[in-house]
Amino acid sequence: MTTIALSVNRRAVEVVAEPRTSLADFVRDRLDLTGTHLGCEHGVCGACTVLLDGVPARSCITYAVACEGADVTTIEGLDEDEITAELRAAFTREHALQCGYCTPGMLVSARDLVLRLPDADERRIRVGLSGNLCRCTGYVGIVRAVQFVIEARRARNIAALADGGRTILGPAGSGRAAPGRSEPSAARMALAPAPDSVARDIIQDFTPAVVLAQSFTLAHPPAKVFAMFDDIAGVASCLPGVSLRGTPSPERVEGGFRVRLGPIAAAFQGAARVERDPATLSGRIVGIGNDQRSHSATQGEIRYRLLPLEGGAVTAVELSIGYTLTGMFAQVGRPGLVRDLAKRLVAEFAANLDRHMSGGSPGRPRPAELSFWSIASDVLRARLARMFSRISKTKGAE
Amino acid sequence: MKPAPFAYERPRDLNVALSMLAAGSGSAKIIAGGQSLGPMLNLRLVQPELIVDISGIAELKRAEVSGNELVLGALVTHADIEDGRIADVTRGAMRAVAANIAYRAVRNRGTIGGSLSHADPAADWISALSALGARLTLRSFSGTRAMAIEAFVTGALESALHAGEIVEAIHVPARAASAHWGYAKSCRKTGEFAHAIGAALIDPAAGSARIVIGAIDAAPIVVSDAAELFGGRITADYKQRFDVRVADALLVKAGIDDTAQRHIHVGVLRRAVQEAAA
Repeated sequence: MTTIALSVNRRAVEVVAEPRTSLADFVRDRLDLTGTHLGCEHGVCGACTVLLDGVPARSCITYAVACEGADVTTIEGLDEDEITAELRAAFTREHALQCGYCTPGMLVSARDLVLRLPDADERRIRVGLSGNLCRCTGYVGIVRAVQFVIEARRARNIAALADGGRTILGPAGSGRAAPGRSEPSAARMALAPAPDSVARDIIQDFTPAVVLAQSFTLAHPPAKVFAMFDDIAGVASCLPGVSLRGTPSPERVEGGFRVRLGPIAAAFQGAARVERDPATLSGRIVGIGNDQRSHSATQGEIRYRLLPLEGGAVTAVELSIGYTLTGMFAQVGRPGLVRDLAKRLVAEFAANLDRHMSGGSPGRPRPAELSFWSIASDVLRARLARMFSRISKTKGAE
Repeated sequence: MKPAPFAYERPRDLNVALSMLAAGSGSAKIIAGGQSLGPMLNLRLVQPELIVDISGIAELKRAEVSGNELVLGALVTHADIEDGRIADVTRGAMRAVAANIAYRAVRNRGTIGGSLSHADPAADWISALSALGARLTLRSFSGTRAMAIEAFVTGALESALHAGEIVEAIHVPARAASAHWGYAKSCRKTGEFAHAIGAALIDPAAGSARIVIGAIDAAPIVVSDAAELFGGRITADYKQRFDVRVADALLVKAGIDDTAQRHIHVGVLRRAVQEAAA
């Protein structure tokens, strides 16, 4: 908890709040200024738009603690504002609202356009309002209302202020605060112990929501690669981010999978089973897992097929990676980014397999483009060291 | 939809911020304008132990022309560039890019350094600044290093930043008087993340061209000597000489298997080239 002091609608306020409190929750829940509406809570819909140091900002993705010392104006603070008064009249006349949910944010953005746009160009108004979503009236009345106010003001020789009156650099609302700090109010909730259900569950077949096809070649004959794929621990050690728990058997492999996409990190714990078909040199690994921290669950499968190339000296490994995500991670609506990550992981898997099969040198520096794997690099390094000590032991036994 | 609890620090200067990051050993996350990190925190996709808020650090809010380049502190916002609060040595190129990033309410807080650090392939600055030949200064507790933007972005949401390191400044070279600029993007909805970005800095007088194909779900394709896209040489009639087959081949090489996707990317790049020639 921390004391946050700022000015809201020209009134100095000082309220104790957690650092994670958004400016929207701060004004709504702590100051009872419920005119600021929350729609999407991730900066898309614009319902929460307020003025921060005089310019529009999203109060749902701006934390109150970051606005220490700033001037906040919510829709309640615009009662006496000249432009907003004209907009209210125009909204009424043009039937620019129905349910009213988007209206507070719409008025704040509209006020900014009236202030900044040189003329009532419909296209510029529509682009300017594109960050405020309306789900019932539609935009025709709203655009007309904004056009009307701009035209009326320019006719009265009130010039546009292209920069909205801002003269300083940096994020709106920043820079007025003294240095400060705040610990979370309570110790972070301890994560519940991993449920045994995953460990006991039968690993079901499933239809993956996303399937990615990848292939790479290994400079070894298919039979040798297929034999290698039977070494579950060996293959797992080549899979970036994978670690095993206990002794694996084809029916049951238990372990974890750590993955990171930019700032997003997850550690799935779960189990898998392994199927192989020597006749077609193909196989399948099916697994389930969940990430405690993000309350996300995944089902995944890796299918592989080995094909001889160059008269059987080289193997083409065709991989099909399928997965279904539920929970928090399913909200990352950018499948392309996941695909790029999968590509990079498969490239690293192929390089690791190649090295593993060639008994390559453990001292080889990791290529720079794989440095994204920093989170798991320690685990990986330890595992590589174990792997190579195992290989040399095997060789010694021969 | 609220973020998981986090501790919060607002350091008074960059050195204090860097020492906090060094002590945070990877569980600390920097926030500036918070326009990319905020949504991820709210969705609990990111759950850092500590947030280090650098938005108040005055030394990161500088903007100055030094020699033949513009040096921007990491905290300069898109709106600062859009409104011309900084000198635009790119003769309007940066201003136009800034004006079309997301929405005004986002541009008022979103920063150029934050956007680059986040390294979202669909965001504007990584593509636009790669085409303009910009460089970055990265700073950590142990010192500074510099690199070109195209070397900085290593993949989707992945950059060359080490733990404890931040983007301190962006160095943008002045655009030559003879250099043409074109920038185009395809968004299903205005202000949305782009599905394709094309950027072109073409100087027919010098016979040089830099071309960027961005928003490909990976690090952008940066062609620093783009003569191959124009039949082997850059001349005044480059608009007619633009070779869509070469652009398509670049996309195939980058692993874009979907022909419809390649078609969109090539089309958007062609628009950028046409805009440069206009």
